[in-house]
Amino acid sequence: MIGGLKTMLPLAWRNLWRNPRRTGITLIVVAIGMWSVLFFNAFMIAWAQSSKETTLQLLLGSGQIHAEGYMDDPSIDALMHPPDQDLASALDAPAVADWTTRVVIPGVIQSEYKTLPTTIVGVDPKAEARISSIPGKIAEGRYLNSSDDDSVVLGLHMAERLKTGLGRRVILMSQNTEGGMSEQSFDVVGVYDADKATEDLYVFTGRAASQQFLGLEGEIAQVVFVLKEEIALEDTVAALAAAAPALDVRGWKDLNLFLASMDSYMGVFIHVWLGIVFALMAIGIVNTQLMAVFERTQEFGLLRALGMKPRRVLVMVTIENALLIGVGVLLGMVLAAVTIWSVRDGIDFSAFARAMEMVQTGEIIYLDYEMDAFLLFPGLIWLLGILVALWPAIRASRCSPVEAMRRET
Amino acid sequence: MDPIVACRGLSKTFGKGELAVHALRDVDLDILPGDIATLAGPSGSGKTTLLNMIGALDKPTSGEVSVDGQPLGGLSRSQLSELRLSKIGFVFQSYNLIPVLSARENIEFVLQLQGVSAAERHDRAMEAIKEVGLSGMEDRRPGKMSGGQQQRVAVARALVSRPTIVLADEPTANLDSRNALELVDLMGNLNREHGTTFLIGTHDGRVIEHSMRHIEMVDGRIDSDARGST
Ligand SMILES: Nc1ncnc2c1ncn2[C@@H]1O[C@H](COP(=O)(O)OP(=O)(O)O)[C@@H](O)[C@H]1O
Ligand SMILES: [Mg+2]
Repeated sequence: MIGGLKTMLPLAWRNLWRNPRRTGITLIVVAIGMWSVLFFNAFMIAWAQSSKETTLQLLLGSGQIHAEGYMDDPSIDALMHPPDQDLASALDAPAVADWTTRVVIPGVIQSEYKTLPTTIVGVDPKAEARISSIPGKIAEGRYLNSSDDDSVVLGLHMAERLKTGLGRRVILMSQNTEGGMSEQSFDVVGVYDADKATEDLYVFTGRAASQQFLGLEGEIAQVVFVLKEEIALEDTVAALAAAAPALDVRGWKDLNLFLASMDSYMGVFIHVWLGIVFALMAIGIVNTQLMAVFERTQEFGLLRALGMKPRRVLVMVTIENALLIGVGVLLGMVLAAVTIWSVRDGIDFSAFARAMEMVQTGEIIYLDYEMDAFLLFPGLIWLLGILVALWPAIRASRCSPVEAMRRET
Repeated sequence: MDPIVACRGLSKTFGKGELAVHALRDVDLDILPGDIATLAGPSGSGKTTLLNMIGALDKPTSGEVSVDGQPLGGLSRSQLSELRLSKIGFVFQSYNLIPVLSARENIEFVLQLQGVSAAERHDRAMEAIKEVGLSGMEDRRPGKMSGGQQQRVAVARALVSRPTIVLADEPTANLDSRNALELVDLMGNLNREHGTTFLIGTHDGRVIEHSMRHIEMVDGRIDSDARGST
């Protein structure tokens, strides 16, 4: 069999180039299919990664700690005390890059034109700048100065809807600890530019200022922490939960379910795409190879007449198919590698990023060579291609040796 | 002397009912070792059909063919392939060389199928090329050779495996006079020098003249079978 392979390989290779046009068409079909699978896979993974990072950096952090019950009903009655000794030392673990605390309470914002629902976020601006990307997204004015800063920073879109802006005043309202409503006017000192969904929801003020406004005595709504390495998430969450058994410690996957399921969405998408590409390729391969076999009926008859066994004809044609599809797959891999290399400086995705409402998307997407994909998908396409090409190969092996004798000039 | 090929009551019918064509009707034929026999007869008389039966390319409707004492009746497709490979050489009207292989590679191809080692393959192919007078052309592909040269390669391919019998169907039909005569000479020489047995389906007078034995077919039957001397 091995000896047979050695003699059949050159024959198969030369046979491929007998009809360069047909071979070319098959090669192009396979190469483009392969390219699209590898490129889209790299792109989807990069996009998902970038969306995830952007979302985590915006406000979410790697994880958050709340009082039990806050996640179900984020009200003034479900707040917690700032981290005690145990929790604070757990938060100072080497895996944690940084952490801070926030007051996050639903409320209402009012301008002289309009009243809108909002989420009031009281922050410590210095720590916040190390954890969140919003302090770096100021479009006009400034970010908050200190925890005591009792001015507000609004989202661009919310400012437009309220028809307000820098130097104007807005009124914030929220339930306070006594069960009544607190209401206070704030100077607008800054406008931030993120995505619409974020801009419409969050209003920022100093943490101490928000506590005073709500009648709190140092209570906070959440601890937010950022890890150095994503890998450490589960261990860190477990360690923090052990340090604060009464609190609700969650990693980002349990805070943003959509983001958490994105990886599996991507997987489904890429496999559906793989299926479509493969179906189209299979039709192309079977078509051209059936035609090739039909044209070479007399030749296969000759091989059978000379004493080649049907199974050997099948192996020979299958070797031809394996070479053909293999070359196509390699070509597609090279194309994909070159494409990914050519966008190594990142793809500017800002226009699309603005249009996305549901997910945060990075403005520049960096593609990476996915080694697993570069091995798995080509292997899969190659094997499946050979498998469907068995049909024409079986046809070839059934060519009658009488054909060779039949007069034909 | 035991016959190399023995046909007994051989019949072949194509199609059924009203459309049935009786290509062979009850043919008995023995070919002896060293024969160089021509099978002649008008077009449609059953020459090709008979060669196909003897060459184990097709199965008779009834009757029996034996090659080298081996009845073909019960053999599987794979066993028939084996038998063709080891015992029968073919020369076809339209040469039927493998276009992507050179002359030498075409000749070596059957030896490859037989599992002959590369070195021996090469030597035997070169010798066969010399024998058919094509030395120096071993690396040419069929497309770069004349019809006469291609047919010589085909003869070399048929001989190189040292078959029991060489079956040739209208081998000169596509050749001009000179090439046809040269091919006839070649086959005659091979027969004299190596005792190669030939059965040649033809209605070419030049071929028939050179044969030791002349078989005439009419309507799927053997009409006459005569030995003459050349
Ligand atoms: N595959 C086939 N199907 C139907 N008829 C056939 C087939 N092969 C040969 N025949 C018929 O059998 C008869 C003998 O054909 P053939 O052996 O080719 O004659 P020859 O070679 O002497 O010209 C012819 O009538 C031919 O039409
Ligand atoms: Mg004929």
